[in-house]
Amino acid sequence: MSKPKPASRADNKRTILVCNGTGCVSGKAFEIREALEKQVAELNLKGVAVDFTGCHGFCQQGPIAVVEPEGIFYTKVTVDDVPEIVQSHLRDGKPVARLFYHDPVTDEAIPCYKDITFYSQQTRIILRNCGHINPERIEDYVKTGGYDSLRKVLSEMSPEQVIDEVKRSGLRGRGGAGFSTGQKWEFCYKAPGDQKYMICNADEGDPGAFMDRSTMEGDPHTVIEGMAIAAYAIGASEGYIYIRAEYPLAVKRVRLAIERAEEKGFLGDKILGSDFSFHLHVKEGAGAFVCGEETALMASIEGKRGMPRPRPPFPAQSGLWGKPSNINNVKSLATIPVIIARGADWYSQIGTEKSKGTVVFALTGKIANSGLVEVPMGFPLQKIIYEIGGGIPNGKKFKAVQTGGPSGGCLPASLINQPVDYETLAQAGSIMGSGGMVVMDEDTCMVDVARYFLSFTQDESCGKCIPCRLGTKQMLDILNDITHGRGKMEDIDLLLSLSEQIKAGSLCGLGQTAPNPVLTTIRYFRDEYEEHIKNHHCRAAVCEGIVSAPCSHTCPAGVDAPRYIRFIAKGKPGEAVAVIREKIPFPSVCGYVCIHPCEAKCRRGLIDEAIGIRVLKRFAVDNDNGMWKQNSKIATSTGKQVAIVGSGPAGLTTAFYLAKLGHKVTVFEALPEVGGMMQVAIPDYRLPKDVLQNDIREIEAVGVDIKTNTKVESTDELFTQGYDAVFLAMGAHEGLKIGVKGEDSPGVMDCVSFLREVSLGKKVNVGDSVAVIGGGNAAIDSARTALRLGSKEVTIVYRRTKDEMPASAEEVEGAIEEGVKIRFLSAPSRITKKDGRLELACQAMSLGDIDASGRRRPEPVEGGEFTMSFDSIIAAIGQRPEIPSRFELSLGRGNTIVVDPDSLATDKEGVFAGGDVVKGPASVIEAIAHGRLAASSIDKYLGGEGDIDETLAPPEEAMKPLEEAEEEMRVEIPAPPAKERIKNFNDVELTLSQKMAIKEAERCLRCDLEEREE
Amino acid sequence: MAGIRLTIDGQEVKASVGMTVLEAAQEAGIYIPTLCADPDLKPYGGCRLCIVEIEKMRGFPTSCTTPATEGMVVKTNTEALNEVRRTVVELLLSDHPSECLICHRRERCGPFDICLRNVAVTERCVTCAKNGNCELQDIVDYLGITELPFKHTERSYPVDTSNPFFYRDLVKCVLCGKCVRVCDEVLGIGAVAIINRGFDSKVATFGDRPIIDSSCVSCGECVAHCPVGALMPKVTERPEEEVATTCTYCGVGCGMYLGVRDGKVISVRGKREGTVNNGFLCVKGRFGFDFINHEDRLKTPLIKKNGKFVEAGWDEALELVATKLGGYKPDELAVVSSAKCTNEDNYVAQKFARAVLKTNNVDHCARLCHAPTVAGLVQSFGSGAMTNSFGEFRDAGCIFAIGTNTTEAHPIIALELKRAVDNGAKLIVANPREIDLVRWSHLWLQHNPGSDVALLMGMMRVIVDEGLLDQAFIDKRCENFDAFKASLKAFDLGSVERITGVPKEKIAEAARIYAINKPSAILYAMGITQHSHGTDNVIATANLAMLTGNIGKPASGVNPLRGQNNVQGACDVGALPNVYPGYQAVTDAKVKGKFEAAWGGSLSPSAGLPVTEIVEAAYEGKIKAMYLIGENPLLSEPDITHAEEALSRLDFLVVQDIFLSETAKLADVVLPGVSFAEKDGTFTNTERRVQRVRKAIEPIGESRADWLVTCQLGKKMGAKGFDFKNASQIMDEIAAVTPSYGGISYKRIEKGGLQWPCPTPDHPGTPILHTQQFTRGKGQFVPLEYKPPMELPDKQYPLVLTTGRSLYHFHTGTMTRKVEGLNILKKEGEVEINPADASKLGIADGDRVKVASRRGEVVAKASVTEASPTGVVFMTFHFAESPANRLTNSALDPVAKIPEYKVCAVRVEKA
Repeated sequence: MSKPKPASRADNKRTILVCNGTGCVSGKAFEIREALEKQVAELNLKGVAVDFTGCHGFCQQGPIAVVEPEGIFYTKVTVDDVPEIVQSHLRDGKPVARLFYHDPVTDEAIPCYKDITFYSQQTRIILRNCGHINPERIEDYVKTGGYDSLRKVLSEMSPEQVIDEVKRSGLRGRGGAGFSTGQKWEFCYKAPGDQKYMICNADEGDPGAFMDRSTMEGDPHTVIEGMAIAAYAIGASEGYIYIRAEYPLAVKRVRLAIERAEEKGFLGDKILGSDFSFHLHVKEGAGAFVCGEETALMASIEGKRGMPRPRPPFPAQSGLWGKPSNINNVKSLATIPVIIARGADWYSQIGTEKSKGTVVFALTGKIANSGLVEVPMGFPLQKIIYEIGGGIPNGKKFKAVQTGGPSGGCLPASLINQPVDYETLAQAGSIMGSGGMVVMDEDTCMVDVARYFLSFTQDESCGKCIPCRLGTKQMLDILNDITHGRGKMEDIDLLLSLSEQIKAGSLCGLGQTAPNPVLTTIRYFRDEYEEHIKNHHCRAAVCEGIVSAPCSHTCPAGVDAPRYIRFIAKGKPGEAVAVIREKIPFPSVCGYVCIHPCEAKCRRGLIDEAIGIRVLKRFAVDNDNGMWKQNSKIATSTGKQVAIVGSGPAGLTTAFYLAKLGHKVTVFEALPEVGGMMQVAIPDYRLPKDVLQNDIREIEAVGVDIKTNTKVESTDELFTQGYDAVFLAMGAHEGLKIGVKGEDSPGVMDCVSFLREVSLGKKVNVGDSVAVIGGGNAAIDSARTALRLGSKEVTIVYRRTKDEMPASAEEVEGAIEEGVKIRFLSAPSRITKKDGRLELACQAMSLGDIDASGRRRPEPVEGGEFTMSFDSIIAAIGQRPEIPSRFELSLGRGNTIVVDPDSLATDKEGVFAGGDVVKGPASVIEAIAHGRLAASSIDKYLGGEGDIDETLAPPEEAMKPLEEAEEEMRVEIPAPPAKERIKNFNDVELTLSQKMAIKEAERCLRCDLEEREE
Repeated sequence: MAGIRLTIDGQEVKASVGMTVLEAAQEAGIYIPTLCADPDLKPYGGCRLCIVEIEKMRGFPTSCTTPATEGMVVKTNTEALNEVRRTVVELLLSDHPSECLICHRRERCGPFDICLRNVAVTERCVTCAKNGNCELQDIVDYLGITELPFKHTERSYPVDTSNPFFYRDLVKCVLCGKCVRVCDEVLGIGAVAIINRGFDSKVATFGDRPIIDSSCVSCGECVAHCPVGALMPKVTERPEEEVATTCTYCGVGCGMYLGVRDGKVISVRGKREGTVNNGFLCVKGRFGFDFINHEDRLKTPLIKKNGKFVEAGWDEALELVATKLGGYKPDELAVVSSAKCTNEDNYVAQKFARAVLKTNNVDHCARLCHAPTVAGLVQSFGSGAMTNSFGEFRDAGCIFAIGTNTTEAHPIIALELKRAVDNGAKLIVANPREIDLVRWSHLWLQHNPGSDVALLMGMMRVIVDEGLLDQAFIDKRCENFDAFKASLKAFDLGSVERITGVPKEKIAEAARIYAINKPSAILYAMGITQHSHGTDNVIATANLAMLTGNIGKPASGVNPLRGQNNVQGACDVGALPNVYPGYQAVTDAKVKGKFEAAWGGSLSPSAGLPVTEIVEAAYEGKIKAMYLIGENPLLSEPDITHAEEALSRLDFLVVQDIFLSETAKLADVVLPGVSFAEKDGTFTNTERRVQRVRKAIEPIGESRADWLVTCQLGKKMGAKGFDFKNASQIMDEIAAVTPSYGGISYKRIEKGGLQWPCPTPDHPGTPILHTQQFTRGKGQFVPLEYKPPMELPDKQYPLVLTTGRSLYHFHTGTMTRKVEGLNILKKEGEVEINPADASKLGIADGDRVKVASRRGEVVAKASVTEASPTGVVFMTFHFAESPANRLTNSALDPVAKIPEYKVCAVRVEKA
């Protein structure tokens, strides 16, 4: 039986076009096409054709199929979807909605590609035909006006006129350096020589870049036409397209296109009846990155090792085989036919003054929509990332973007509002390059990124010149040292000076640009280098050399989560507590309320969901048997005395460790209750008082003396009283003002005072309807507390959206469950008292550009004012410390005490400070971490070693990392129903059962046990 | 040459167009550090040390790649430049054993001193053979580097010791690429290349095998060009002094320095200035000098008593020889002189034969190589020497190499051919075998052995038929064209294709390439001459050159490449039976009178016997005594068995040599001569250039300079005119009696050789012959007909044997077989046979095979290779263990009396 032949596209009412670019092909696009053809034939559908196109550029959504003429865009198509598409859509005219594209921001299903932001924001010139025509049929190209430009050039224009047109268009080389294409042609045109060569550089080697490949796969004839026009202009009769051999589909389609063009007389002798002859050859490159450099590329065509040579002589004078040669990038050439067809004037209107036309980016990395993006020069980076790119997935924060591949640089979030063109990028220390654009989020370590790119360029250095061959090796070694915790602070300067010398001394662009990623990451992310060097800390928790498990690495106090999770898995919660107690004296508090930054970095999260580390900790502390005490020791008295001001997590942690080291410690607490914010800011339903007491009891047990209701006004007095050192840890108890008119009205209060009052058992009446202003944990706590106080309606007013809320997601969810309403994108503007109620005037906001925090800045919506009325309003927009003036300390931003970050010493001899007084409002675990650091440096100050680490847990059995992880979601935390919860201040969640805890603990990948290579 | 002016470091500098900034600076004596720039190689720009600042140019261009232009303002030594340079060198040192480089005690530290800093022996400069001569050391000193800021990341590679002459220690390699480039750009071999990328980049052979397993020809140019200690000769001693001289191996006549230490030659270095080789040397020239101080050297005269050699004093030996030789009639005596010996040695030898022994029976091995050249070219042009100089070939439009395996036999001339091809010349190779030159050729004519006349006449027929001839030249400069033209009739391409086995089209293409791409030079060697019709072959090449006017002009001509170092000179000074020095016929009474006057005494009026006939006469008992200087006919004569018998039949045989050769063993008296390292004199190379040979060491044992031995013998026999005090005096006498050498004296050739004709002391020498008119007046076209070789394959002996040379050995191996390293590189003679023939005979590569001809048989190892065409086997003749000449045919060319070495019929079977 002969294969049924679908009718041609023209005669059909409906055509389904399957993307046959490399990305979709690897997703079985060939099979999908075959299945479609078979189905259509079997159902004997008239007026339906099946065809294929090249790459649509939206590879994230592949395999893609488009049904024309209506432009229905099907994403992630599989062979199994074929019958439904054919029967429902092609036969019955009902599109298959489940295969539509879903907007990552709004989650809206969008049937037509024209309406997808990814496409609607683009200006496609280079990629104009990609995804629309069958690249293997020259007729399709001709139908779009293809080869008309060549015909026009040959019949109407002299080479000089062509060159002039291209010069006037302002087109600059899209291969990276951005040199004027017309001028380049002119040099070659003017160079004396009977034989000249026209070369297309299709050696696309940047990691993540694939626009040249897609262009050749999707629209090979435009490249060929561009080459023929260029060859006519410069006077070349021979041409080469140098394509990397890793692009077999591109090689195949270009070869086929050359054959067809020869058959049709667009290539070969006497083209279109003119005197111009041009023979085009394909040369496959062997995948050396340096062969993208034009002199190395020519050496490679000549059959030599691809190594660059110094210029001059420039290829225009002495290129391939010593003859004048001109090399252009695929994208430059693909633009040429359009410039000729529509004119230089039209083209030069697109883009900026110095950077004309459009540019194609290969958008990849931590971005919702990865794919090919063509925009006018000068398009804002922010729009590329957030509108076309759909933003950063998984609610992570945007951190940086690398443009220009390994030769480019990393731009930080602060530059995201810049336009993208040659000049701006150069100013920022990066380059346009061939258009690679790798988006990075908070889980990317910038030192590691620099190291990665350096390892790439070092691997690809041809070895010819010393600065590149050995300089990048030295840089790579230094970066390896830094990422392995072996770095020295001098290394940063050595990297900078080496970079300068390598840039100045290297032979070709590879070496001259290789240091760019290092230079830009040092320029914009120097603090991360310093953290690696000084603290052996990688904030993204990716550097294998210093990160054993990302969870424990991310824990500010360094609690060894994987180890205690293993004890829990073995049914030994006591041992687990011992492990936790090796680093913190507040295991119970953390078990209940830790913000668990560890979970955000948990590697299990990459598979399904992060381990419930905090709930496991809570399970452990709730089942503690006190075995940790066996190994806990207290040193003999040193005779030194330390005064600690404040009994919050920072103060008590310091007190605990100093006491264990043999110092006499007294803690002064201004409030009547011990515990600071843990006591007075975290509501009971989250942290029951007895739980907090458990931990405080153990602290007092090591000999810490706590004096409540004692406010310290002067540090000098403490020294007079005989204290040898003072640690200030008073927290941040002063609520910030909203800064709107009327906030002093009765019924308006700040959250700190509100929560404190409630906590201290005072009677607080908030009425039936309460507004909470802010989006942090304090706002949620206030809202939920208000509910429990009997408010009927609690509304959180927040000026951004849910994604930007600083509060923990689970807290937000808890609040919503309990009935808290949230008004997003609303900023308070005025409070007035009316009829005994408070009128809160608000301004509706929308999100605009990205600000320095990496979040989109809320901007007022014109005419978006509205008013709501409440019984009381709680401002939860932040707190700051109150520092008695007699302390005479230097204060910094937000009224915080300025300290040496490495020792927490203030500028006053013997006085140290930590916790929220230094950091501003932060978390319990961060305060504990400060407390540990303070204990260590105060001990050193008092003549000790500063060693506070202990081994409390028994050794564990030898184990191996989890070999295979089957998908298994994290445990659901048992909780009473929301309706019940809001009735009282009882604990809102329950302790896991042993069975649940073991099951959850067994999900741990045990990545700390992974064997690591040096 | 057009001049330009530029300013370098404030100094006005003159340079010529085409010079780089680096070259201009170097010429002005301004030092710019560099590791990769080399005058022999194309600009590279890799090491980044020669960067400079140039006004109006961005960044730091490399001076080695930037052309100097008028008015350029250059700075070579600014702080910014040195900062980059320092970083570059510091980086280099991070990857190089560098402990000593920055040690302040380096100058004072000896290799056997204990290092105070405990630096490992392998890391120490003082134990590196390059110490004191290392360009990296110079640059470190120039930049004043005393600290190493970077972490040491040295790569570790085992030292490649596989080559017998040099080692490769990649740990010390700075990747300047010079070895790779010289091997590619100059040699055209490409035995090494840079492999891998990034830090792992390194110089390696194909497949990263030991160098011995690569296509390396061991010429050592890489070693000579290495700026550091990565490539070093295995002999690491440094010479105390170096003596400039001329190589003793082939006819190229390369200039070299012999390095002497403790009275021994320990090194050889190529000489650049005033030489034909521009400093390049081949494997034999550079490494093949162990024979000089070899223990087997003859140290005293030997007299055979009761069949055994007994050491004797000079007086006794000379007395015995004088007495013996004095006892024969002139016709019963013969002197065989040597193309290995100096002009002075040969002059004295032929004078001894003629003036003392009164016989013209004097000849030498030119008979066995280029006698047809002399005979043929004299007939055509009037002079039997190479018409042009090989330094011109680089400018040729076409090079037609027929019957020359240039890369093996004249390696340094092969470099010129490579350069010519690089410059755009078309290379046509005509050779039955797929020799190395074929790799570079545009056209390869694989003709049947012995079909040269047909091939050449076929080409000429095309040229005439297609009107590609130079009629004006023919009309003006030549004669006898019509008769010649008529003789072309027989050579229609159909017949030529049949005879030669070369397709018609290729013959026509060759004719066109040769005729159109002028100037075209013909090169040939023994593939043309060693035939029973060798003279016809030579004449055919002369006809071809005249037909197209490719003669008397630069980069053209007919260029026989002579085999022995002084075969040209030995002929020039009269070691030939028919001519006195300067090719003056012995049969010319006037000439005879002149020499009788000069030498005092009567001379024989009739021509003597050529060496091939001398051997025959000895066989027949007509020659009874022979004085043989530096020759080894027992390997070099055709049909050795016959030659051995002939020499055994002599009454008295004196052999003067440096080793007890196969022939010397037959002698009655053996006289110890000296090698080229131990005597003064001159060699005349293949392009007629008379060059100095200088004494570097004292004669070994009691050996004496060959001319001195002959002179003493002459004096013992009572002759006058043998009182030369030194070689210079002999040259003065040569100049006096030899018109073409009239202007040559040691004083004039002190700095560089002179090409004859050089008739007067103020004559500049003659690089190109026949520029205005031919030596004989008009060039003579000689009609030719095709004659097949004398012995063609038949049922009994179905294969053709052709013979030739190996790069690694020279002639009969008396010298090279004494060099251990050369014997490692090529330890035995092989029989090259085509796979088709081999499989028919059941022979596998490496099998021992017996090769038999009508005259004898030889056993050797088979090498099955496509290089040999079907029906043809190939052997070299260097090896006494498998002497090819036991098989060859002694059939002679009727004019030149050269034997047909190149074609005989053999049978091959598994041994």
